[in-house]
Amino acid sequence: MHTTSWHSVGPSLDECIKCNICTSYCPVSAVTDLFPGPKYSGPQAQRFRESGQPDTPDQAVDYCSGCRVCNEVCPTGVKIAELNARARAQIAKEKGIPLRNRLLGRNELMGRIGHYAPRLANFGLHNAVSRFLAEKVMGIARQAPLPYWSTDGSFGAWFKRTQKERLHARQKVVYFHGCATMYYEPFIGKAAVAVLEHNGYEVIVPPQNCCGLPMLSNGEFAAAEGYHQRNVNSMAGLARGGYPIVGTSTSCTLTLKEEAPELLDMHSPDVTALKMGVWDIFEWLRELHEEGKLRTDFRPINLKLPYHAPCQYRAHRVGKPALEIMALIPELEIPESHARCCGIAGTYGYKTEKYQIGMDVGEELFQFVREQGDDVTMTACDSETCRWQLEHGTDLPSRHPIEVLAAAYGLYDLETRELTSQSNSM
Amino acid sequence: MIDYLVMGAGLSGLMSAYAAVQSGHRVKVIAKGLGALHWGAGSIDVLGYLPQARDAVVRRPLERLADLPANHPYTILGPAAVQDGLDKFMRLTEELGLPYYGAEAAGENLLLPSPAGALRPAFLAPAAQSAGTASDDAPMLIVGFERLRDFYPELIAENLTRQGIAARAVKLPYELLSDRRDANTVQLAQELDDENRTERLAEFLREAVRPGERIGLPALLGLARHAQVVTRLALAAGAPVFEIPTLPPSVPGIRLFNTLRAGLEARGVRVEAGMEVIEMNAEEGVIRWVASETSARPLRHSAERFVLATGGILGGGFMSDHTGRIWETVFDLPLTTPQSRSQWFRPAFLAPDGHPVFQGGVRVNAAFQPVDAQGAPCFANLHVVGGALAGCDPLAERSLEGLAIATGMNLLKE
Ligand code: SF4
Ligand code: SF4
Repeated sequence: MHTTSWHSVGPSLDECIKCNICTSYCPVSAVTDLFPGPKYSGPQAQRFRESGQPDTPDQAVDYCSGCRVCNEVCPTGVKIAELNARARAQIAKEKGIPLRNRLLGRNELMGRIGHYAPRLANFGLHNAVSRFLAEKVMGIARQAPLPYWSTDGSFGAWFKRTQKERLHARQKVVYFHGCATMYYEPFIGKAAVAVLEHNGYEVIVPPQNCCGLPMLSNGEFAAAEGYHQRNVNSMAGLARGGYPIVGTSTSCTLTLKEEAPELLDMHSPDVTALKMGVWDIFEWLRELHEEGKLRTDFRPINLKLPYHAPCQYRAHRVGKPALEIMALIPELEIPESHARCCGIAGTYGYKTEKYQIGMDVGEELFQFVREQGDDVTMTACDSETCRWQLEHGTDLPSRHPIEVLAAAYGLYDLETRELTSQSNSM
Repeated sequence: MIDYLVMGAGLSGLMSAYAAVQSGHRVKVIAKGLGALHWGAGSIDVLGYLPQARDAVVRRPLERLADLPANHPYTILGPAAVQDGLDKFMRLTEELGLPYYGAEAAGENLLLPSPAGALRPAFLAPAAQSAGTASDDAPMLIVGFERLRDFYPELIAENLTRQGIAARAVKLPYELLSDRRDANTVQLAQELDDENRTERLAEFLREAVRPGERIGLPALLGLARHAQVVTRLALAAGAPVFEIPTLPPSVPGIRLFNTLRAGLEARGVRVEAGMEVIEMNAEEGVIRWVASETSARPLRHSAERFVLATGGILGGGFMSDHTGRIWETVFDLPLTTPQSRSQWFRPAFLAPDGHPVFQGGVRVNAAFQPVDAQGAPCFANLHVVGGALAGCDPLAERSLEGLAIATGMNLLKE
C-alpha cells in the first residue's frame, strides 16, 4: 500500500492535474490581481525554477500568504504552499532580505527587548508618530494589529515565581509557550498550565527559543535553522523520554513538527524525535479525552462564541480538536467559521503593500462574525496573530480556546484574563 | 466512537454520510482533497449509453437498467432502490435550496448543451441548467464574454444550429463580470453574488434578447446567492435564463458540494478535507481504525463501520505504477482491473467499448461489501460505494453521479 504523500515537496508537482480547484479556493488570488494563484505560482512556475538560475520566473509568489487552503483542497496532494515558501526563500537569497522582514522575523528579539520596559515599549511602538515612521521607513502598515507587550511580566517570570505552587506529579507534560505567550500574552500560558495541572499533569517548561517560523516565512532559512537546532537540542531528549510536548501556538507547534524539518531539510534522528513528540495542546487533550482521561467537570458557560480555526490547523491536518473539546462545555454555543483565512497569515498582513489584501481576505471572517448577531461579545481562535487580526477587524475581544477551557474548569476569568483564586490554591 | 467513517467527499461519500446520519448514526467524513464534484457539470447522469450500444443515447434510463450486466452496481441494487435513491436526492436538494429537475416527460433523459454546443444526456439537472433542454423549442441566445476563456458562444450556437436548435450568439464586455484583469469562473460567480453587478448584467441582457428567446450563459451565475441571481436576471431580461457548464473548476459542481456539505454539517456531520488515509488496522476481518497522514503522527479514526468512497482511477481511489499494477489505496482490496499495461486500453482513443482500465474495480456482494475471489467479504464492516465499484464504466455509460447517489443513498439498505 502506498499513497502520494511519501512525495517530498519538489516531485509532488508532477501530481498536478491542472484542475484549478486550488485557484478557486485561494483567498489571496480571490481579492487581488497581484497574485495569479496557487496553480500558477506553485506547480506551474516551479517547472521554470532551476537552482542557480539568475532570475526567478515570477516575483508574484511573494504575495502567497502561506495559508495552505490550496494544499487542503488539492485532490492529488501537491504541496503547493511549500513550493511557494521555497520559491520565496530563493528570492530572498538572491535579492537580500529587507530590514522590515528581518524585524518581523525576529518576534522573539522584539519581545525580549520590549519586555524590560513594556509600558515604554508599548508607547514607543503604538503611537501615531512611530507607526507613521515604521510605515514610511520599513513598510509596516500603520493600521496593522501589532501586539502589546505584557505589563505584567513575562510568562517565564511567572512560571519561575510560582514554582512552589506548581503541581508536582508522576505524569508530566512539556509546555512550549512560544514568543507571543512569553512576552505579549502570558495569560495564555497561565491558562494552559492551569488546565494541564487540573488534569493531574506536572508541567515542565524547558529552555526554548523562537520556533523560527517568522524567519521561515520571510525567507530567512539560515537563521531559522539555528533556532530550530537549539530547540531540538533542548527538547529532543524529553521527546525520547516519552513526554508529550504541547504548545498553545498552533504555528509554533506546526513549525516544530513539520515546517522546519521539511523546509530546511533537517532530518536528523533528534529532529524527528522532536517532531513526533510535539502536539497542539488541543490535539493532545482530544487524545486524552478519547482515552477517557480528560476531566469533564465543566461549569456551564452561557455564551455565543464564534470560533475560527486558524490556517495552521489546516496544515496540522488534525481536524479541529479545539472545537471538539469546547463542544463538551455545557451551554456554550459555538458557531463555526468556514472563512478561509483571517488575512494576517503570520506577518503577512503587517506589511504595507499587503495590509489591504489581508483585510480583504479577512472580510469573509469578519462578516461571518457580524452575521452571528449583536449578542456576540467575544470570538475565539487558537492563533495569536489571527486573534489580533480578528479583534482588529471586528472590534470584539478574542480568546484562545485554552482560556475558554480554563474558564469552564472555573480556573480562569475570560473577561479579565486572570487566573481565579481557585486555581492559585490548587 | 462514531458509527460510520466515510472516506471520500465526492458525491458517493456525501450521500453515504447522509444516508447514515438520517438513520440516526454518528458519522464523520474525511477526504484527501476536494475532487469529483468540482470537475463535473453539476448535473446527474444516471445512464446515457448502454455497454452494448454505445452510439445510441438512452432515452429512458430507469427502464433500461434491466439491460445492464448482472455484476453492474445498478443490477445489484435493483431498479426500485435506484429510483428511491434518486427521489431522496431530489427531496434533499430541494430542501437545501438547490432544486434539481428531470425532463418534463418523466423518466426521460434531458438533452442539454455542453460548452462545445453538443447535446449531452443528463437525467437530473440543477434548475438553472434544466431550462436549456433541447425538448423545448424556444430559440436560444447564447451569451459569452470577451476574454472569458473556454466559453465560445459562436461555437456553441453554430453547433446547436447544426443539430436543429435555433441559436445565435452574442458577446458582452468582460467588465460586466469583473473589474479584475483575470479571474476564474468561481471568482466570477462570487462577483455576481453582488446585486449591483447582477443588475448591470441584466440591463445588457434585456438589450440583447429578442422576444421568445431564452438566454444561455456560462455557469457562473452566483455562488452563495445563485437562486436570487438567476431569478433577478430572468425577471429583468424578461426571458428564461439558463446555465451551460464550463470547463473545471465547475461552479454548479461546487454549489452542489457546498450545499450538501452544509446540509450534512447542519445534521452534525463533519466533513474534513486534507486528511489522506495511509494506514489501517483490522483484527479477525474487522477493521478497527484507519489513520490519516498529519504533520507528525498519523491520526487514528476508529468507527464501527467504514465506507470507502474514494473513487476509481480518476477519483484517486486507485493508484498505478509503470509496470501496469493497479491497486486500491486504502485497503489494497482485490480489483477486477487488468494488471498489465498492454490490457489497459483498446487501440482506438475513443473506443466504442470503452477501455478496460476504466471498467475494473472492487467486486462487491449484495450488501456492497468488497469480496475476494471466492466471494467472501474481505472485511465484515466495510462498504464500497461510487466510482470504485467493478462492473461498470461510469464515464462511457455516463452513469457516474447516478451510481454515486444510488449506492450512497442505499448504504443501509438490507
Ligand atoms: S498558501 Fe494560501 S495564499 Fe498561498 S497559494 Fe495557497 S491558498 Fe493561495
Ligand atoms: S488543486 Fe492540485 S492538482 Fe488541481 S491545479 Fe491545483 S495543484 Fe494542480
